[in-house]
Amino acid sequence: MDSLMHIIEVRNVSFSFEGVAAKVIDNVSFHADRGEFVSVIGPSGCGKSTLLRIIAGLIRQERGKVIHLGDEIEGPVKGISFVFQDFALLPWLTNIENVKLGCSMLDISETERMRKALMELEDVGLSGFENSYPNVLSGGMKQRVGIARALVSDPDVLLMDEPFSSLDELTAEILRKDILYILKSKDLPVSSVIMITHNVEEAVELSDKIVILSHKPSRVKRVIGVDMKHPRNKHSRPFMKTVDEIYATLTK
Amino acid sequence: MVALNVLGLLAVLLTDTAFSWMRMFVALGISVLISLAVGIYAATSERAGRIILPVIDIFQTIPIVTFFPFVILIFIGFLPGVIGINAAVVFLIITSMIWNIIFGVYEAIKAMPKEFADLARLYGLSKWQKLSKVYVPVSMPRVVEQSVLSWAIGLFYLVTSEIFSAGNTAYQVKNGIGVELTGLALSGNTFGYLLGIGIFILFVIATRLLFFKPLEDYVVRYTKQGVSQGRISTRRRIYGRVMQLRLFRYLQSNKKAFTAYLVRKGGAGRGVKWRVAKVEKKTQKRGAAYYIILAALAVIILYGIFRANLAADEYSVFVALLYSFGRVWLAFIVSLAIAIPVCVYVIFLTKKSSFYLLLFQIIASIPSTILLPEIVALMRGYAYGSELIAFIVFVLSGVWYLIFSTMHVAKSMPNNVLEVKNTFGVRGVVAWKKIYIMVILPGLITGSITAIGAEWNASIVAENFQNVHVGSGIGKFLDMTIASPGFRMSLSNHYLLLMLLALLNIIIMILLINTLVWKRLYSRVARIYG
Ligand SMILES: Nc1ncnc2c1ncn2[C@@H]1O[C@H](COP(=O)(O)OP(=O)(O)O)[C@@H](O)[C@H]1O
Ligand SMILES: [Mg+2]
Repeated sequence: MDSLMHIIEVRNVSFSFEGVAAKVIDNVSFHADRGEFVSVIGPSGCGKSTLLRIIAGLIRQERGKVIHLGDEIEGPVKGISFVFQDFALLPWLTNIENVKLGCSMLDISETERMRKALMELEDVGLSGFENSYPNVLSGGMKQRVGIARALVSDPDVLLMDEPFSSLDELTAEILRKDILYILKSKDLPVSSVIMITHNVEEAVELSDKIVILSHKPSRVKRVIGVDMKHPRNKHSRPFMKTVDEIYATLTK
Repeated sequence: MVALNVLGLLAVLLTDTAFSWMRMFVALGISVLISLAVGIYAATSERAGRIILPVIDIFQTIPIVTFFPFVILIFIGFLPGVIGINAAVVFLIITSMIWNIIFGVYEAIKAMPKEFADLARLYGLSKWQKLSKVYVPVSMPRVVEQSVLSWAIGLFYLVTSEIFSAGNTAYQVKNGIGVELTGLALSGNTFGYLLGIGIFILFVIATRLLFFKPLEDYVVRYTKQGVSQGRISTRRRIYGRVMQLRLFRYLQSNKKAFTAYLVRKGGAGRGVKWRVAKVEKKTQKRGAAYYIILAALAVIILYGIFRANLAADEYSVFVALLYSFGRVWLAFIVSLAIAIPVCVYVIFLTKKSSFYLLLFQIIASIPSTILLPEIVALMRGYAYGSELIAFIVFVLSGVWYLIFSTMHVAKSMPNNVLEVKNTFGVRGVVAWKKIYIMVILPGLITGSITAIGAEWNASIVAENFQNVHVGSGIGKFLDMTIASPGFRMSLSNHYLLLMLLALLNIIIMILLINTLVWKRLYSRVARIYG
């Protein structure tokens, strides 16, 4: 595989909803490289979720391309996984069954599926909750199941749509700290993460690169690289400087 | 000797009720399976949905019980004897049970978080996995909730069809509680009749507690938040069917405007700007589409009748229809006169409203037609007895829909309405005019549609019942035509007429409600807040 190849490349993507004249996304381009954690930030309703669903192959762009390891995305593919804002756990399945759903596309035996799911659930810190149902879990635990489901198939791209915004701030903070550890501790590491957010601090805390979108339509306003060691101190000068820079760009 | 007789009777009644219940369970099982298939199809394919939904809407407004003799003839034609009859009865029950379950499935899938569909695509679930892991489970809470309601409706049709068939030796259902009760009542065995009704009620309560309650408890976990579905399903039991009607939704959007109006009148919610004109325009558009479908159907039916060349009995059919129509509407007015004070008492004047609700629910699940044989026996020999019988059955069939619908809607009444009433000590005429009527009106109106439908159904049965000698009426007329030679041809014409009448009925209802109530309210709201 070409080491110069981007893991995900979004190239001149435009989109508008059927029957709505105004474009939601207008000529957006960016890319995610191996080992990169990319955040896409923009005001509420600017089309971030729509963009992520295009990258996942769930909806089709009007113009432009999304390229995954050299192949154009035309529908959901095996190597790309998704974490939902509202968890999207099926309440009638136990937690382990929910996680197992994540490897439906893999061509492996049932016992192997079970083994992987159990391991993944343990990695997100939920061993012991295999056979209970999502309803008994707290919000933070639900999202952990959601993350386990996304990671169980050993994807090379992880897409996350505001994964922390349904959680209270304290829980979100803990999970933000954990997610980097969970990602790092995988045997088959995830190559790139693309996370949607509208939380500036969160973006700066986690990402290597931040893509800032404008509102109506969504265009790339600016791309900012963040080069700080983890764990990042929110009160450090470089951190606060980056945050201010992003706010300035967003409100411009 | 006497004890033996009683034991024997008990055994007969128990087996017959068990047979009736078997028909019900078979019908429910089939209804649920078909509903899942149709509902999921309609919800996942936009094109299919556009065709299926209006068709179902119309089907559930047609009193299908009127087709019963016709259905029996067809089934007996294909299947011999006992099997054919039972298949016909089960078919009839299905046609009464199925529509609200289909809508339940449809709405459950439409209301499903779109992420669930995304999941299925992301993880490449097969068709079968999509069904078993997503679509069927997501429908289950609504299926159970609607089944409870369907059971009550189905019981009405079960007993009705059994009673219906009891008088006709040509096609009699064997082993059914309806048949048995008819026999007991007409032979003057009041004790046996009461015993039968007692067993019937026991079965009703047992089914509720031993079959539906556990199911409700089980599917609670299928709901997203795990909120108690049981509470909702109790509330929705009877009027759930009303809620499924597109017409109801049409009225519902009116109701929202109305509730907003109420809240403002009550002094609360100040600053809520309610855009009357916008809502009105939208609902009128939807209403118009509905009328067009109905009108098109009416034209087709009229054309069919014209082609079939209805001859000599044309006039008598018309008269019969007129009689039934008048009877039904009169019964409806009486039902209103009963429902309004009952509702006002239960909602405003007593603290035990949940007790009354439960009581009403149990009484309502006893099909009014089950009383028919005994009323007939009691009224024997009185002048106008038959008219009275028909009337009582009509009222009993319709009044519950009014009561349950009203009580349901009144639940969403803003709390401060009662507070306003108590704080300012509003009483008497003022309370009636400014509070009671205003609060119960929306529910009363939505209940009216189903109430009229139910009374119409009852009219077919009551007039058709062998010992009821009402002067004229369409049910009576149907029975006569069945007995006449060459009836098949004329029969189908009359069914077409009936369908037309059912549709006309609904259209008249809607137009009346619109012109008499909503238009006036709107102009008032517009005048005050415009
Ligand atoms: N199915 C749809 N049809 C029309 N407009 C839509 C649809 N879904 C979302 N939108 C609109 O598109 C815009 C972008 O939505 P979304 O991508 O969810 O925004 P974000 O995730 O940035 O908050 C919003 O203004 C939203 O109202
Ligand atoms: Mg979003």
